[in-house]
Amino acid sequence: MMAAFLPLLTLFDQGLLRTASFVVPRRQRAEWRQEWQSELWHVRRTCAPADCACWPAEQQVMAFCLGAFQDAFCLRQQCMPMRLPRPAKQGSAAQCILALAAILFACDAAALFLPGVRAERSLMVGQVNPGLVMIQNAGYSDDTSPTIRPHQYRTWKTRRQQYFDGFAFYRVQPDSVNQESAPAGSSASWGVAHASANLFILLGLPLRFADQDRNPADGLPSVILSERLWTREFGANSHVAGTVVRVGNRIARIAGVAPNGLWRLPGKVDAWLLEPEPEATAGAGYVIAHLTPAGAAEMWTQCVHITAYGPEDSEDILLGVSIQDYRPNPWSLYLFALLLALLALPAITSVSLGESSVSPQNTSWPRRLTRWSFLCTKIALLLPIVYFASLDMAYAFNTPYSNAAAYIQLISTFGLCLFGLRWILRDQRQRCPVCLRLVEHPAQVGQASRTFLAWNGTEMMCMDGHTLLHVPGIATSWFGAQRWLYLDTSWDFLFAGTLGD
Amino acid sequence: MARESKPADAKLSHTAALILHAVDAGFIYGFSIMEMTGLPSGTVYPAMRRLERDELIRSHWERQSIADAEQRPPRKYYKLTPAGKITLEASRKRYPLLERLIPSEEAKSV
Repeated sequence: MMAAFLPLLTLFDQGLLRTASFVVPRRQRAEWRQEWQSELWHVRRTCAPADCACWPAEQQVMAFCLGAFQDAFCLRQQCMPMRLPRPAKQGSAAQCILALAAILFACDAAALFLPGVRAERSLMVGQVNPGLVMIQNAGYSDDTSPTIRPHQYRTWKTRRQQYFDGFAFYRVQPDSVNQESAPAGSSASWGVAHASANLFILLGLPLRFADQDRNPADGLPSVILSERLWTREFGANSHVAGTVVRVGNRIARIAGVAPNGLWRLPGKVDAWLLEPEPEATAGAGYVIAHLTPAGAAEMWTQCVHITAYGPEDSEDILLGVSIQDYRPNPWSLYLFALLLALLALPAITSVSLGESSVSPQNTSWPRRLTRWSFLCTKIALLLPIVYFASLDMAYAFNTPYSNAAAYIQLISTFGLCLFGLRWILRDQRQRCPVCLRLVEHPAQVGQASRTFLAWNGTEMMCMDGHTLLHVPGIATSWFGAQRWLYLDTSWDFLFAGTLGD
Repeated sequence: MARESKPADAKLSHTAALILHAVDAGFIYGFSIMEMTGLPSGTVYPAMRRLERDELIRSHWERQSIADAEQRPPRKYYKLTPAGKITLEASRKRYPLLERLIPSEEAKSV
């Protein structure tokens, strides 16, 4: 029965040897394979002399072939030490900087590929014009409900204003948006902002394809598409500007595409229909106003109370909220969390660099400059790492300007800054002042119970033979902080192997 | 630097010493050493690589004509170097019982 499988088993054994041979360095592979195949031939002759296969014999042959892998790895290891980085480079300053740079690159790359983060970063360059406020009824605590009637907007716009020199109005309602040729009502409902024509000019927000708009002066209102709508309904067509579409019952011409996350004002909007004047019978909406220098001078805080007089001398008590900081800016959040982390840092680690015991004779000013430059480089790399990593975490699964994203960014920035700076300080304290290499081989010296009779703590050594670091187990009045001991030439014999390797 | 030590001073593991003894006793290819020592292939061959790297043994291929005459593939044979012999003498002092494990007379009669 087994004899029928003999060619198959032989092929299997040959396959094992061939697979193992790929582990062997190329220049030794052919000879290695020849030796093992020769040995296999003899093994098979010995274990199954009459070519009549039996299971125990095949097990022996297979066990022999599996040993080829260990042999192959052994040969590979014999060649590896030449390729491995030299031990002298391990724990070096260059290695640390390279590792941090790699992390920074990875975080930045992740930020480029995560759609949420990309949208967020694109907004950093698309800030609204300064001096803009959103006006709403002071009686409403939040902005989820629109409170300004179109006739109020028209009144403010037509009257001469001392504190405002520009107004824009919008209100959001569900509507269908599709190509003009498509039958009405055939598409899904989108959030459409019916806005005054100057909305985007007043906000100063950049639009895509706006320069391609070839309006033939046919009197059609303009429509701005959100990137989401543009992708879904228009297949991300880059020549979309100028296309005639139907928005609800209105015919309009596409004037541009608003990038994702550009809109940070109240209301979930997928398209903006820009009309010369809002319909008088339309519902309440939102008003954006631009402050004159006199109006800006009145803005002591982010909010200002406004009293508006109606046609019959009625008074409306309104609230103007600055749009500039209407939603927390990721950069402001980052700076705030960084400040908090700096304040909290002394609570979790010593801010000393442990250099009080460094003798000026042994550390020349170029060495000290190098040491400080290394510290500054680490901090300079950590800060963007924290920024990009916190953005990655906050906006990977959240929409821009959502509260959840802001909280995640705040907490992650604080945590990463705090523990990152702690690591930087601890790392700096454990680097040889001469070569900036990490001290190694910690050895516990003394007993904790003898702290007040003798010294106890940890000793670590620079592997280049420059210094010995003593770190007390318990800080005492006579040994409160770590101390460096500079090793003179009498210690060289200890490091001869390392240095010459 | 460590490899520049004198061969006689080299400290062999018990397995390496056993294999060195086997080669000296006339078990001059991998499978015969496996059979004699009872060690698996995954131990014997890597150990022989290390012994060869440390220049305690040397390998050579059997002549093709001999293998053809016996209708089998040529084998790779191993032989002790002078440094290997010195190390072997040192290891005999270190592992005196090894002599009893490897019957050299039997090997010579094969």
